[in-house]
Amino acid sequence: MLKEGLEELAAGEQVTVFTDNETSLKNLVTYLKDQGVEAEVTSEDQVFTILTERPADPVTHTDPADYCETGVIATHYVVCIKSELMGEGDPELGKVLMDTFVDNLKLQEELPTHVVLYNGGVKLAMKGSSSCSSLSELEELGTRIMLCGTCIDHYGLQYDIGVGMISNMVVITETLASAGHVIYP
Amino acid sequence: MDQPFDLLSTIENGGCSSKLPAGLLAEVLREFPLASDPNLLVDVNTHDDAGVYKLNGETALIFTTDFFPPICSDPFEFGEIAAANALSDVYAMGGKPLMALNLMMFSREQIPMEVFGEILKGGNHKAREAGTLIVGGHTLDDHPPKYGLAVIGTVHPDQLITNAGAKPGDQLVLTKRIGTGALVSGQKNGLTLWDNYRKALDQMKHLNTYGAGVAVRFGVSGMTDVTGFGLAGHALKMARASQVSFRIQTAKIPLLPGAYEVFEKGSIPGAAFRNLEFTGDQVHFTREVDYSLKMLCHDAQTSGGLLMSVNPDHASNLVEEINRHDPDSGAQLIGEVVPESPRALYLE
Repeated sequence: MLKEGLEELAAGEQVTVFTDNETSLKNLVTYLKDQGVEAEVTSEDQVFTILTERPADPVTHTDPADYCETGVIATHYVVCIKSELMGEGDPELGKVLMDTFVDNLKLQEELPTHVVLYNGGVKLAMKGSSSCSSLSELEELGTRIMLCGTCIDHYGLQYDIGVGMISNMVVITETLASAGHVIYP
Repeated sequence: MDQPFDLLSTIENGGCSSKLPAGLLAEVLREFPLASDPNLLVDVNTHDDAGVYKLNGETALIFTTDFFPPICSDPFEFGEIAAANALSDVYAMGGKPLMALNLMMFSREQIPMEVFGEILKGGNHKAREAGTLIVGGHTLDDHPPKYGLAVIGTVHPDQLITNAGAKPGDQLVLTKRIGTGALVSGQKNGLTLWDNYRKALDQMKHLNTYGAGVAVRFGVSGMTDVTGFGLAGHALKMARASQVSFRIQTAKIPLLPGAYEVFEKGSIPGAAFRNLEFTGDQVHFTREVDYSLKMLCHDAQTSGGLLMSVNPDHASNLVEEINRHDPDSGAQLIGEVVPESPRALYLE
């Protein structure tokens, strides 16, 4: 099997896979994409050739309880956004700073496990907000974007949410209390 | 029969793994005019488990069918599993199955006729256990074989539980373990211990009768059964029908022993990939959920458990009650219902 074959390789070493079945091809490419490696596909006479390499950091969990029971790894951090603005002073500047901060999060070597948005902060996750696409990219990378439901209701934004899961104060409190550390921009 | 006939030798994808992809089905159904009637309490609109028609203030009819190719080697056992699976759709609406018809496709040129009889006997055995009368059926000459039931049941209109009733704040309960698709595929590829495969078969034969009874007693607000579209696929349909989102903690999902290991070895059936394609960006996985667990959430289940949405005050009692009655069920709280968010499912 491909998975076992990959494990025999050194990280970055290349391997060629042959298959004559289009469904298998699709499934193999889905698997490789999920492992974060490129898969180059060529075909000739109904035989498909996939050129790929061993993932740099293959998933090695054997028991889901090992890593899920505690929620996250010990060094994890949560970003907590209380307002649309970063810092005090000129609100226009504060907005630019916040958008830039949110945009930079995805570039961090270690990504936040959660971004919690409450009060005016929830507006960053609304459709058309300048930070919405940055938050979506972060969510796509596996970060939880959590929105305060009471705040969404308060500002009447139920139909404008662009990204994130509506949450409540019980879960938000739990998240902040169990975080390795919390960043308030 | 000198050598027992192995039904698994007739097929590539058995059980609920052989469903058409959900997305493809939705595309065709979109073009269909919806039946409409004031007495039609549940139609195809919400992708529920059965159609429900109100006869009067006391009784509504539940009407459903399910059939599929072999999921196991033994004909009697296949009959039991196919029947348990078909009856489950009635239980998933909070109802009681009354009568059923056998649906059979079978080629006497390819398979000994004794096998035909054994499949029917298995189905009949399960129907009797459920207190359901099999009153006839229909057979076609076809290969590979397929078997299942068309079932009629009843429910009090006030006690009807649909997949559209989940409310924010509810807790989510799953009443059987996940991984039947994984273990059957593992068995075919020599990657499953016999004991683990046996546990999967026993679970598939298990009727959802008790879970449904408890659901009615605890006033469960929404319910569906988990079959071919996998936990993620059916949870997604339930969340969409209820206009809410689900947050599911994957570490709490009860798994059949050995299922995770089969996926870790890379033996993942095509149905799981089809289901993954269907759920697509409607489901969010956090980074901590590893690949095998993500694929198990999409593993096609045959005769799977009930997924219930229940008031948080009753959730633990409900789980306790199911586990007390059936200590092997693995019933668990797996998550909660949140207000409708951009994605239907958030798995962490």
